[in-house]
Amino acid sequence: MQQASNPIIECSGLSIGYADMLGKVARVVDEVSFRLGPGQSMGIVGESGSGKSTLARALLGYLRGGGRFDGGRLLVDGIEITSTTFTSIRSLRGLRVAMVPQNPLASLTYHMPVGRQVEEVLRSRRGLVRVEAERRVVELFAEMGLPHPETIGRRYPHQLSGGQRQRVVIAAALACDPALLVLDEPTTALDKTTEAQVLELIQHMRVARGAALVLVTHDLNVVADVCERVLVMKEGRIVEQGLVSAVFRQPEDTYTQTLLGASLDLSGAAPSVNAGLKPLVSVQDLTFRYQQSGWFGPKNSTGKPTLDGVNLSLGRGEVLGVIGESGSGKTTLGLVLAGLIAAEKGVLMLEEQSIAMLAGKRQPALRRRIQTVFQDPLSSLNPRQTVATAIMRPLRHFFGMNSKSAREKAASLLADLGLGPEFLERYPRQLSGGQQQRVAIARAFAAEPDVLICDEITSALDASVAGQVLGELDALRQKHGTSVILITHDLAVIWRMASRVMVLKDGLVIETGATADVFAAPKDAYTANLLSSASRVRRLGQDTTLIEEPLAHAV
Amino acid sequence: MLIAALRRVLLSCITLVMLTVFIFIATEIMPGDALDVSLSADEIAMIPPERLAKMKQDLGLDRPAPERLLSFLGGVLTLDFGKTLISKTPVTAIIGYPLRNSLILAGAVLLLAIPLALTIGIAAAVWQGRAIDNIASTGAIIGYSIPEFVIGTVLVMIFAVAWPVFPATITASTNDAALTLLAASPLAVVTVLIGSIAYLARLLRTGMVDALAKDFVERLRLTGIPEWRIVFLHALPAAIVPSLTAMALYAAALVSGIVVVELVFAYPGLGQELVRGVTRREVHVVQAIALCSAALVVALNFLADMAILALDPRTRRA
Repeated sequence: MQQASNPIIECSGLSIGYADMLGKVARVVDEVSFRLGPGQSMGIVGESGSGKSTLARALLGYLRGGGRFDGGRLLVDGIEITSTTFTSIRSLRGLRVAMVPQNPLASLTYHMPVGRQVEEVLRSRRGLVRVEAERRVVELFAEMGLPHPETIGRRYPHQLSGGQRQRVVIAAALACDPALLVLDEPTTALDKTTEAQVLELIQHMRVARGAALVLVTHDLNVVADVCERVLVMKEGRIVEQGLVSAVFRQPEDTYTQTLLGASLDLSGAAPSVNAGLKPLVSVQDLTFRYQQSGWFGPKNSTGKPTLDGVNLSLGRGEVLGVIGESGSGKTTLGLVLAGLIAAEKGVLMLEEQSIAMLAGKRQPALRRRIQTVFQDPLSSLNPRQTVATAIMRPLRHFFGMNSKSAREKAASLLADLGLGPEFLERYPRQLSGGQQQRVAIARAFAAEPDVLICDEITSALDASVAGQVLGELDALRQKHGTSVILITHDLAVIWRMASRVMVLKDGLVIETGATADVFAAPKDAYTANLLSSASRVRRLGQDTTLIEEPLAHAV
Repeated sequence: MLIAALRRVLLSCITLVMLTVFIFIATEIMPGDALDVSLSADEIAMIPPERLAKMKQDLGLDRPAPERLLSFLGGVLTLDFGKTLISKTPVTAIIGYPLRNSLILAGAVLLLAIPLALTIGIAAAVWQGRAIDNIASTGAIIGYSIPEFVIGTVLVMIFAVAWPVFPATITASTNDAALTLLAASPLAVVTVLIGSIAYLARLLRTGMVDALAKDFVERLRLTGIPEWRIVFLHALPAAIVPSLTAMALYAAALVSGIVVVELVFAYPGLGQELVRGVTRREVHVVQAIALCSAALVVALNFLADMAILALDPRTRRA
C-alpha cells in the first residue's frame, strides 16, 4: 500500500463539460478539488444532476457521449487522467480502479451465465487460463457470500435475486484486486434488508482488501454506514466536504442541511391521531393474486398472494401511511383501492356502502371521489396534452364546467401548488419532475376527491423538491379535508405526513397504529429493521464515541 | 426450455391448420366453386348445363363444403394438392421445381446478404455518427427504397446490354441442377441482394446501437474488457434477438415475394408459377402456392422463436 502522502486520487480544479449540438459546453462538474488517500473511503452525495455520477466515471477516465475535460487536473493512481492516452487509461480500468454501477440487473449481460462474466474479467484482464479463472471465480463467489459458489456461476442474471446480482457485480469489480473501488448508487435498486447486507459486504471487502472506496449516492444513510469522508455536490460544485461525523453533525452549508433535513428525524412530532373519526373507507379481507400466463391466456394460479387478507380503515380527513419493502404489496394495495385491478376476495366500502372492485364498474360520481397520484408523473401525464387540458378534463367531466371557469379553477389549483398561470400552456416534457408531480396532484384535486391515493409520489424527486411538494400536498389536503393513503418506502415522509401507519410485508399487514407509537416502539422485528436502517444518519449525529475512533487514522 | 419449445411447435401446428382452412375458404367457398372461377363467363355459356353438372360431380364439387374441406385437409397432410382442372396434371409436379428454384434463389441471397449485412450493421453501429455510419445508413435507405424492377432493369442495361458479361434473362430451364441455375442468374441474385442487404443492415445497425447503449456494455468498458469482446460476445447476441422475428419474416417473403424479379429475369421460380396459375385460373395451383408461402412464414417464425430461446435465457421460462 502506498503512503498517505501519495494519494490514490488527487483532483484539483477539475471541470467536466458536455458539448451540445452547437458546440456550447455546459459544465456538469465545476472546479472540483479533493484528495483521497489509499484505503480511505469517501461518499459523494448530491441530488440528480449534481454531477456526482459524471465525477465518479471520470475517475476511470470515462466520460459519457459528448463529455470532455474542461480544465483542472485529475491524478488517479499516479496517472493524469485528463491528458493521458486511452491505452494507459485502459491499463487502470478493472486492474487498479474498478466500478460497481447502479442497476445490477442491467449491468450484467443477460444472455451469459454470471460465472463466465466474472471469469472473463480474470482471463482478459489478469491473463489467467480457464481452469485458474474458474477456480478463482468460485473463491470470489464464496467470499461475496453467494450461496452454492460452485454452481451458482452457471445461472443467468435473471435467475438471481437483486442482492445476489449485486454481489456478482462486486465480485467482477474486485476480481483483479483494484486499489480503488468506485460504486455508483450500489444499493438504490435493492430493498432495505438486502441493502444492509450488501453495504456490510462492501465494508468488509474494503477492510479485507485495503482498497480505497468512492461511493456515490443520494442516500445519506448509506454514507453514514460506509464512509469516513463525505463530499456534498450541488450543480457540479462541491458545497461541503470533510469527515462524515463532522459534516453530518454540524453541516455548514444550507444545502447539506436540506439534505439532512429530508432524512428521518424523529425529534419532531408526528401528526397526532384524531380519535373518533367516522371511517370513510374500510377494507376487509382483501386478497389479490397476480395471474400467471398459461397456454392460452391467463390461468387461475394458486401461487402466493400479493395481498393476503388485508384490512384497513381510513377516517375522514385522515392520512394513513403504508410502508413496506419493494414486493411487500403496497403498490398493489393502492391499485386495488383505486379500482384499477380487482381483488379476488374481500370487501371495499366507502361510507359503509360496498363499492365495485373495478373503477370501470363504479358510477362516475363514485369514481370522482377516489383519485390517484402515481410515482412517475411524466408517464401518468399525456405527453400531447397541455397542463391546462390535463387539469380541466376532470373539472369538465365531473362538474360540467364550461371552458372558461374550468380554466380559472385550474389556474387556482396550480397557484395552490406554487405554479403560476404561465404553466397552463406548457407540455409535461417542458416541466421539471417536481412541477410535473404538482400538475398530477392538481389534476387529482380538480375532481375534489374524498380519498387520494398517493403511490411513492416523491420518490422520483430530489430531497429538497420532495419536501416542498409534500408541504403543498399537506396544505391542499387540509383545505379540502381530503383523506389520503400515502404509500411510500420513505419513513421520513410517513413521519411528516401520516397520523397512522400500516406496515406491509409479503402482502400481510404486520402492524397498524399511530405513527408516533409504531416508530417509538415497533412491535414487529420487521418494522424495527426498517426503522433502524432509515435512521442511521441521525444516530451518527447523536452518537459521538463510536465514530471518532476509526476516523483518526484516516485523515 | 423443452416445454417452451414444445409449446411453440404445437402453436405452429395450430396456426398451420387454421391457415389451411382459411385458404380453402378464401379460394373455394367464397363466390362460386373452383370450376366457376376457372372458367370464364363465355366458356360457361358454351358448355351445356348437364355437362357442367357432370364436370362438377367428377371434380367432387357437388359435395357439401365441410366434406370438401376435410378431403382438402387430408390431401394437404399427404402433400397431395390435387390435379389441375383442365390438364389433370398433379399440382405437386407443377410447383415442385419452381418451389425448389425459389428456395435456391432466396437461400443464395441470404447466404450472401446475412454476413455482409452483419458486417455493415456492426461497423455502422460501432462507429456511429462517423463517415462509415453515414455512408452505410444513406446507402441502406437508397438501396431499400429503389424498387427491385428498377435495380434489375439498370443492372441488365449495364451488365447485359452496355457491357454484355451476363445474360439478360435466365437461359437455364426449370428442371436444371441447382448450380447450373445459379450460374445462369447472377443478375437476379444481385438485384434481390441489394435490397436485402439494405434492409438487414438497417435492422442490425438499430439493434446494435441499442445494445451498445446498454448498462452492461458500459460496465464492461469500465472494466477494461477489449472492445472486440464487448461487441461480438456481449452486444451482438443482444442486438440480434430483437431483430430475429423481422429477419425470419423477411426471409419467408423472399421465397414467395420476389415475383417482380422473377418476371424481370424470367427466373423459373414460384412467383412466375403463381402469376401463371392466376392468369390460367388454376385454383389448386394458387392454393398450393399460398399454402407453401404460409407454411414457410410459420416455419421460419418458429425457427426465429427457437433462436430467441437459445439466445435469450430469460424467455426460457415456459
